[in-house]
Amino acid sequence: MSLRLYDYELDENGYKVRLALGALGLDCETVAVDMVPGAEQTRSPLIDLNPLGTLPILVDGGTVLREAEAILAYLARRYDPAGTWLPQEPAAFGETLMWLAFATRELHAASLARRAALFDHPGDGPELESRSRAAFRVMEDHIVLRGLSGAGWFAGTGPTIADLALFPAFALSRDFGIDHEAYPGLRRWSRRVRGLPGFRTMPGIPDYH
Amino acid sequence: MDEPDGWYAVALGADIEPSTSAGTRLFGHELVVWRDAAGAVHVWEDRCPHRGMRLSFGFVRGDHIACLYHGWRYDAAGQCRFIPAHPDLAVSPMIRTRTFPCRERAGLIWVRWGSTADDAPEAAPVEAAPVSPLRSLYLDAPAARLAAALGGAGSDGLARLDLAGSPVLVAVQPLAAAASAAHIVVPAAPEAPTADLARLAAACIALRRTIEGAAP
Repeated sequence: MSLRLYDYELDENGYKVRLALGALGLDCETVAVDMVPGAEQTRSPLIDLNPLGTLPILVDGGTVLREAEAILAYLARRYDPAGTWLPQEPAAFGETLMWLAFATRELHAASLARRAALFDHPGDGPELESRSRAAFRVMEDHIVLRGLSGAGWFAGTGPTIADLALFPAFALSRDFGIDHEAYPGLRRWSRRVRGLPGFRTMPGIPDYH
Repeated sequence: MDEPDGWYAVALGADIEPSTSAGTRLFGHELVVWRDAAGAVHVWEDRCPHRGMRLSFGFVRGDHIACLYHGWRYDAAGQCRFIPAHPDLAVSPMIRTRTFPCRERAGLIWVRWGSTADDAPEAAPVEAAPVSPLRSLYLDAPAARLAAALGGAGSDGLARLDLAGSPVLVAVQPLAAAASAAHIVVPAAPEAPTADLARLAAACIALRRTIEGAAP
């Protein structure tokens, strides 16, 4: 096996993949891409790997994948035959995919808000912040409800790739001005994520706790 | 906004786990709520005297909390005890942060706010019957509107509310002019049926929708 990840250290989507690699205990060659300010991923040779010009990109032998959530699902299916991280059980599988979609769609606002704050990308700051807060509230309500029934994770009975896909936006929210005050359930959940084997941090997520 | 003296709940006790910290606000003032490794809670001004960094971003080690910026460590009395850049320095007693009297009662962490803050710690709300934590609900609505919807608090600082046919106890936290929190506990033994708690949690969401949607 020879995994290669095209990644930019400050990119939260790449961080999702790094979390999965850590959780699965996989070795991976990382190719650092100058996403900001170079936009290297929009030019050859990377544009030849991913016509969308986005990061991250995972190459595993002849398999080339873009989209962090798809990469997470691939890694889980390929390297976690026990089905811990992408459950086989239909309801847990469906819930996992539901939250992966949430990470891609609802939390895109958080991604844009962070890029506007950190990289001066264009974006309506207050509008993006409001949409991010709305998404975090949905997550908070869900994890509180889960906690009251004795479950600590977003889907199924244990940690899944859904937790890994949801974690970066919340953990990095202070980058774009959203404190964790209103999300005690998510605060406790992110502490559990931090305690997962193979967990790693990134700039903006301190090493403590 | 008015800042009446009194005891205010700032978190569910269960939400502040040992060796963790969280930032919150009371009347717009930023506070750090933290629990040391031995389980004692502390409520301070959320500000490292060094560079003004929020201490709630920092980390708890034993009975100290440390600032994320430069690792200055404060003991349970708010006194700075250690500065990593000057490990041999006997830290001046002037380097301390403002602390507030706090108590844990009825499953909630309470802070004494106001001019008489230091002379009435015994006036913390009395222990209610055993409670189970339900949740803290954060609202984009003024505390006054939340309190009005709850129907007023008793002398113990707790409002009694019928939520989906079950009694709950609610403490109101004024966060800022247009933001508040409701810390909600259930007067029951800890082994309350989980289905019941889930039903109540769903009712909390409906309550938040009603209060946020109500005319100011």
